[in-house]
Amino acid sequence: MKYLGRRLIHAALLLIGVSFFSFALLQWAPGDFFDELQLNPRISARTVEALRVEYGLNQSLPVRYEHWLRSVAHGDLGFSLAYNSAVGPIIAVRARNTLVLTGAATLMAWLLGIPLGIWTATSGRGWANRILGVTTSTLLTIPDLLLFLCLLLLAVRTGWFPAGGMFSPSAEAAAFWPRAKDVFAHLFLPAFGLAVVSLPVLIRHVRSAMVDVLASPFLRAARGHGIPRMRVLFRYALPVAANPLISLFGFSVATMLSASLIAEVILSWPGLGPLLIEATLARDVYVVVATVLLSAVFLVFGNLLADLLLVAVDPRIRME
Amino acid sequence: MGRTRNRRHRAWGCGAIVVCALLAIWGATAIRPLNAAQPGEELAITETPVGRMGGSLVIALRSEPKTLNPALAVDDPSREVLGCLNADLIDINRQTLKTAPALAKSWEVSKDGKQYTLHLRRGLRFSDGQPFNADDVVFTFQVLLDEKIHSPQRDLLVIVDKPIAVEKIDDYTVRFSLAQPYAAADRIFDGIAILPRHLLEATYRDGKFPQAWSLSAPPSQFAGLGPFRLKEYVPGQRVVLERNPYYWKQDKSGNRLPYLNELQFLFVSNEDAEVIRFEAGDTDLLSRVGAENFTMLQKQQAAKGYHVADLGAGLEYNFLFFNLNDLSSKGKPEIAAKQAWFRDVRFRQAVSEAIDRADIVRLVYAGRATPLWGQVTPGNKLWIDSALPHPQCSLDHAKELLRSAGFSWKGDGTLVDPHGKAVEFSILTSSSNAQRTKMATIVQDDLSHLGMNVHIVPLEFRAMVARLLNSFDYEAVVMGIASGDADPTSEMNVWVSDGETHLWNLAGKPSTPWEAQMDKLMQQQEVTINYAKRKQLYDRVQEIVSQNLPVICLVSPNILVGAKDRVGNFRPAILDPYVLWNVEELYVR
Repeated sequence: MKYLGRRLIHAALLLIGVSFFSFALLQWAPGDFFDELQLNPRISARTVEALRVEYGLNQSLPVRYEHWLRSVAHGDLGFSLAYNSAVGPIIAVRARNTLVLTGAATLMAWLLGIPLGIWTATSGRGWANRILGVTTSTLLTIPDLLLFLCLLLLAVRTGWFPAGGMFSPSAEAAAFWPRAKDVFAHLFLPAFGLAVVSLPVLIRHVRSAMVDVLASPFLRAARGHGIPRMRVLFRYALPVAANPLISLFGFSVATMLSASLIAEVILSWPGLGPLLIEATLARDVYVVVATVLLSAVFLVFGNLLADLLLVAVDPRIRME
Repeated sequence: MGRTRNRRHRAWGCGAIVVCALLAIWGATAIRPLNAAQPGEELAITETPVGRMGGSLVIALRSEPKTLNPALAVDDPSREVLGCLNADLIDINRQTLKTAPALAKSWEVSKDGKQYTLHLRRGLRFSDGQPFNADDVVFTFQVLLDEKIHSPQRDLLVIVDKPIAVEKIDDYTVRFSLAQPYAAADRIFDGIAILPRHLLEATYRDGKFPQAWSLSAPPSQFAGLGPFRLKEYVPGQRVVLERNPYYWKQDKSGNRLPYLNELQFLFVSNEDAEVIRFEAGDTDLLSRVGAENFTMLQKQQAAKGYHVADLGAGLEYNFLFFNLNDLSSKGKPEIAAKQAWFRDVRFRQAVSEAIDRADIVRLVYAGRATPLWGQVTPGNKLWIDSALPHPQCSLDHAKELLRSAGFSWKGDGTLVDPHGKAVEFSILTSSSNAQRTKMATIVQDDLSHLGMNVHIVPLEFRAMVARLLNSFDYEAVVMGIASGDADPTSEMNVWVSDGETHLWNLAGKPSTPWEAQMDKLMQQQEVTINYAKRKQLYDRVQEIVSQNLPVICLVSPNILVGAKDRVGNFRPAILDPYVLWNVEELYVR
């Protein structure tokens, strides 16, 4: 409990730091949200200035940050200059969509990564293992952007997958199952892409953890006692190899989130990515800060969850 | 006795049935609007071919609309959606670029040109079934003119620092009084959505109008006079509109428009995503695409059941201009030293003559653009001065001009000014606009033939605007202006020297005799009602611009659009909204 409390205080301080620095960086960047209006010959500079005053852009950084902190306390997360409404409801739906995507991708990555990692650790130096090694090395070198562009090309050229979005325009009136099927069809490609992004690292970590464990005397004894191979691997070896993998889980949340921003923009998934890019370019400060803060929350709690899992599965860490 | 009672019962029964039937018919006509015009309704009749009722169309938006409050919307996606939900008093016909009756069936102008009396159509209803009358018009203008609301449309309604006065004459007549005659007064009504007083007055009185009609508001809170009404908004994904059963237009056969039951706006992240969704069959209309995508779509159009169209030059003009601001108080001696070149009209003329506009058209726009020598594009047929000279690209003449201005060339071909300083300057462009960066690169290459050393500096758009309008920390810029209207009054702020977008020199007063003359001409045309006289005045402005080159106009990109073959009455225009301006007439074949 004490450990949890300490971690939560650290997390809160980290989030305050992240929010302040993103706030300050946006403040220091040249130009503001209303600059574009200044170039509209049909809108006067007086109106633009009045809008700046109305939305408090003429106030100092500490004053604006304090106002923002208060709105965070109310759950609004600030006020979007573009949408003319509280930021909280704007990002809530998109955050859910991002979570759906990253959740599906994480599940896919781990469901593929663990068996493949174990297989590479146990299958010796066969040709299949070599092919997998080359494939993962190649995947590591491909930039995320290129990978998602290739997936988009695949969808457009073959027509096997939808070319973007979360629903088909025609699925709106459909019943639950056809609609769920439609969402799954749209989800598959971006989730698969994200899974592929994190798969090489995951496979290598699982492999290395398993190779270390498989050499342990207790596993040789288990095999000597005639326990079936699969039972040895999944029941005895994997739990022992789990520690570094659980830590990796915490980091993979961060990798997944940054990659998901690119996936969402290229494959038109209605998550936080397109909103963040649009808000950054438009200098919609509070939307950017809230989105960055939310990403930081996901990251911090991903790591916290991993640490708590470690505490739960490893009695040595509990003792420390 | 018993038979008589039976007969009486039967008679009562028949009577009750007849009464019920009549009540049902009355009820149906009273509650549900009929397809045909109701008695007392003054519907507008369209001239386009008769279409088919029903169906739906999907179109992509390159970003989400930010608000559905017409008084506050400034972004293009919001305005595109709002254009389908609302109607204005007087409309600009996108094909003729002239004004046409809308909610106002007619209007009169007083002899002194200061009063406009608008006669409204009778019997119209908002999309929630509530009646429309002059009170809604007066309320709308009251809201727009309220300084506390900060409506971006307010500036259009303030003429010579005095807001337009609005007066209700009777339920269907409204009078607008102006401080001085204003040539384009009837055009300012285009795009001003008439708001439902019955829904918004209480909110306005409570001081909560700026929060009204945000995207999170439920559809039942909205009502408008446009062809559609809000059905659903899904954040990050789409806006769905449904047919407004009370819309005030009908076709030649008496069918109440719009033909479509539903219109969906799908949010995509950029132009490429929009094209991909169109190709994949997810959308039916393509609002405006770049030349590369257009060429690719054109090759496949026959096989894929759609067609694309090049409408020619739009109203956007791209130009190069130099920093002619007074920099004495800005502490920028390096730029100030170069202003001696920039201020010499022969230097600007030489730059203009060295730029090969045909190359820009070919290399940047794959031939889908029109070269420009003035600020009015060939798309604006009402105002272009066709007598304007089109000097061909000529390096020899450009060198002659530079020589006459005291410039010379070193042995290695570098151009030097009369003090022996090499001519070197930078051009800012917006990094988010690939075409303008390419354009600047071609300009750089062309000017290198004159011995000028030009650097391209792509900057994030807002950072560029900050330098342009606040710090004046730039030497030259390539940018574009897309005018919202064909009329010259929409660009007053660009061409008069106290205008806030008089980009090359924001001193607020004329610095040269020709600028003073331009001010006078622009102010004269603004108050001259007669079109022919105005045209003469604005032609002179175009001549002054082409001779003195405060901005060196380069090209106007063509408007490139597309639609599935199943879309009927597709008549795109060069003025925004390009494909949806006649959305009520579109139908599914």
